[in-house]
Amino acid sequence: VTPALSHSGGAGALAQWVLLELQGEVEPRQSGALAGSLLGDLHYTREGVPVLVVGHHILYGKVVQLEKPFAVLVKRGGAPHGHYTVTALIKTKLLFKTRPKPIITHVPKKV
Amino acid sequence: SLVIRGEKDEHAVLCSKDKTYDMKIADTSNMLLFVPGCKTAEELNADPASCNIIHSQIAGFSNNYWELRRCRPKLKKLRKLLMEDPYDGPDSQEDQTSTFSKYTTEDLLSLIQASEEEILHQLQVIDACKIEGYWRILHFDYQMKLLNHVTQLIDSESWPLNKVPLYACLEELGSLEPRDMIEHILVSYGRKYVDAGEVFFEMHEDKICRAIAQMLLQNAVKFNLSEFEEVWQQSVPEGMTTRLDQLQGLALVDKSSRPETIFLLKVEDLPEDNQERFNSLFRIREKWTEVDITPYIQDLCAEKQTVGALLTKYARSSMLNGVKVYNSRRPIS
Repeated sequence: VTPALSHSGGAGALAQWVLLELQGEVEPRQSGALAGSLLGDLHYTREGVPVLVVGHHILYGKVVQLEKPFAVLVKRGGAPHGHYTVTALIKTKLLFKTRPKPIITHVPKKV
Repeated sequence: SLVIRGEKDEHAVLCSKDKTYDMKIADTSNMLLFVPGCKTAEELNADPASCNIIHSQIAGFSNNYWELRRCRPKLKKLRKLLMEDPYDGPDSQEDQTSTFSKYTTEDLLSLIQASEEEILHQLQVIDACKIEGYWRILHFDYQMKLLNHVTQLIDSESWPLNKVPLYACLEELGSLEPRDMIEHILVSYGRKYVDAGEVFFEMHEDKICRAIAQMLLQNAVKFNLSEFEEVWQQSVPEGMTTRLDQLQGLALVDKSSRPETIFLLKVEDLPEDNQERFNSLFRIREKWTEVDITPYIQDLCAEKQTVGALLTKYARSSMLNGVKVYNSRRPIS
């Protein structure tokens, strides 16, 4: 069995993707499906620190250049001559491993 | 391009044009999400227009990924496949039409877990040749028959061992054996070069002496060492000198027996896996010196790994009569 991998065609360099690494699991709200749902908002501070807002939590992360880049493979065709295409390369990841902080809206003091 | 190779009962490997990698699945408790086209802070800074919201889609997520680790190509199977049907010469009873146990380059590429360059290089190392489109190894006896024709001719023509003319060999021996076989044996046991437009071979003294030793040793379990050395020197072509170090990885001397003996032990007959290789070596002999064991573990060294590192990992050392010896880390059945 020798499935082959090849470039996904197209001129020039492979697409560059970014990896988002989260500690723990992501669950859809109200037990819907993950597909099509909004994960959250990604921001960068002025210093380049990535910030992720998921639901009412905020996560601070860091940009990591991967020592060993990833190649994203997509399987095409079934047995016996399955074929993997290299779709993209991932050289950077945004790692979020700090505890999510709940965003508490400001409660004005009682006058 | 890259290829994944392996049969159902083998661990998959990934091969580039010239390298082989073990594939392992790595699990992580973290969630990995892949975002195509996601921009980093630097990329956004560089583009002042992007103050708007960019909608990005997460293409997918995973908890695991494949990890690649460069490994030794798994080439033992190559010799095993080609030894299923060694070529015995045109006079043999061989059924020329049967292609069972005959392998083309394409066949080998789909069966051997190694890169194409590593496979082609190994075919050269084991002196394989293409006969009618199939890769074949010559039967050892047939090799010796061909070699004998050549060495006898060298002797009768008094050619220097480093300047054996191809053309004359083909002319003189072409009636006895196929020309491509004569050329193949010269290529296997010599170095081809061109001088003044003519092709010559510099015969490989060590390799020829080694082959003749194998021929002598394969007929008995073991030999009296001094008797063997005498017969061996007499059997090699005029002008060649035999030395025991030519037999590294082919034969082993037993210095503890009286008289000293020598027996055939071919490294290519031993297991390919590191632990299994050490187990079989320790089954053959309980304690080894580094000098004796090195030819039998040299091929296990990964890139930048030393024999010493292997011994540290798979053996235990001790002193025996003032000499450092290695034995197994655990009892061998």
